[in-house]
Amino acid sequence: MKYKSQAVAKPYFIAAIGLFLGQIVFGLIMGLQYVVGDFLFPAIPFNVARMVHTNLLIVWLLFGFMGAAYYLIPEESERELHSPKLALAMFWIFLVAGAATILGYLLVPYASLAKWTGNDLLATMGREFLEQPLPTKIGIVVVALAMLYNLSMTVLRGRKTTINLVMLIGLWGLAIFFLFSFYNPGNLVKDKYYWWWVVHLWVEGVWELIMGAMLAFVLIKVTGVDREVIEKWLYVIIAMALITGLIGTGHHYYWIGAPEYWQWWGSVFSALEPIPFFMMTVFAFNMVNRRRREHPNKAAVLWALGTGVMAFLGAGVWGFLHTLAPVNFYTHGSQITAAHGHMAFYGAYAMVVMTMISYTMPLMRGRAANSRSAQVVEMWSFWLMTVAMVFITLFLTAAGILQIWLQRVAAEPMSFMAAQEQVALFYWMREVAGLVFLIGVLLYIGSFFIKGKSEAATA
Amino acid sequence: MDAPSDPRVQAVQAEALYLVNLLLAPGLAFLLLLWLARRHRASANPLTRCHLRQAVTVSLRAGLLLIAVPALVVLTVDLDQPAAWILLLLYVLCCHATLVLLGVLGLSRAIAGQTFVYPLLGSRTW
Repeated sequence: MKYKSQAVAKPYFIAAIGLFLGQIVFGLIMGLQYVVGDFLFPAIPFNVARMVHTNLLIVWLLFGFMGAAYYLIPEESERELHSPKLALAMFWIFLVAGAATILGYLLVPYASLAKWTGNDLLATMGREFLEQPLPTKIGIVVVALAMLYNLSMTVLRGRKTTINLVMLIGLWGLAIFFLFSFYNPGNLVKDKYYWWWVVHLWVEGVWELIMGAMLAFVLIKVTGVDREVIEKWLYVIIAMALITGLIGTGHHYYWIGAPEYWQWWGSVFSALEPIPFFMMTVFAFNMVNRRRREHPNKAAVLWALGTGVMAFLGAGVWGFLHTLAPVNFYTHGSQITAAHGHMAFYGAYAMVVMTMISYTMPLMRGRAANSRSAQVVEMWSFWLMTVAMVFITLFLTAAGILQIWLQRVAAEPMSFMAAQEQVALFYWMREVAGLVFLIGVLLYIGSFFIKGKSEAATA
Repeated sequence: MDAPSDPRVQAVQAEALYLVNLLLAPGLAFLLLLWLARRHRASANPLTRCHLRQAVTVSLRAGLLLIAVPALVVLTVDLDQPAAWILLLLYVLCCHATLVLLGVLGLSRAIAGQTFVYPLLGSRTW
């Protein structure tokens, strides 16, 4: 660790990992509720478990991105963070607000929560992924603005590199597009139209910039390849991500009441969306093959390579699978979407955050890499989580194929619930794969507590 | 003078073609794999021989598992029954995923410069 202030990333990463564990636990609860409908009812109804599962995902990834930014930007800018105290204050505000929101979901009926938190003043709640009460949404904006001020001041006064600029643009985009969560028109078509400006333009737009910057940063460090080479790759990747991802938003406009031309625009541009993810895979493998040194942190290299592959498979291949309008006509809102969502979020964003944590945590704890035994456990956790996620995706894909055939294609289509009963076997298998994933997460957490001989940090 | 070639190149190519055959270009990648195996059949490098032999043998067996067995299921069961589709999908997905995962393992071993025998499906001699 070159700068003392980079250490503010540590609490962000610890919180991210804790919330990640929570997300997986609620995923397992929901997975069981798919097949045992009254499991934990009425204490945790399915809709609440789902809301907690998806909101924890968003919050832990945001913690991860923020932690990564607080580590990466001072190092790239070659100066201390503008205000470490502000970063720490924002950490506590975000953690308390996040925890209070999750407890609110779990302990208070959603309608009462909306009433108590001023949703009648400005109605923003009740939409998928944007369920947060108004004060939480305002809190997210405050935390994001304070972070952007802190990081922008650091970059403005320090060295400007492609990596810190791309990271900063990604974070600014993240904050700006979140503002659309406050716009909730009465017209349902308009509501959905702008809702995607948060959801899609985050995950298939600005988050890709953040992901690219984080991956590039780690690859420079672990491979020793020239910055110029990595930066050229980064330019092309983010250009492709934005070219395809922005108009690719159209793949969400097929059936919401938007004009028909979106079926063409959405199909063509989103069919190109796998390109930047494929480039990221080639990029990661190419850089590791051209490495100029053997970094002692093998686990971080594994996470970086895994990110490239899994992001391409989950976001690229599984996204392409159902993105063309004539295909999406049948697959829309089925378990195929769930399969894509799981692998894409894990492959692109969960893994890139874990890449960053894997690289930076040992440095923040005063060593270049963890001991060999700790790394072996971490690599086991990588394989368990990744293989489990592959199987979760495959079982959901199978459930989706069957669901579509029974419910939408067969000569005598079944009702939704009748079709769900037929695919129950796949849900059971998904649950088993989910348990393996949980074991992977527990091993991952356990790897931080394994001692042993480690190499001292040089930077 | 040319730099000595990396002894892992053909091993990595073989395992990569095995995966491409399963994932991206079935048939075409297998033909390329056969061509590569023919070209290096007399290689003195045990790493090359091992991975080529594994990739070719397991590709052939994978073809049987992924084409012949599902074809047999399609011919023998009533596809109007959801249970038949559950069986077919489950078999193809698990079988294909396992073959891909073994291929990933084979590729990792090839990149690391180590030999690899596919469990159950691989050839013990090379």
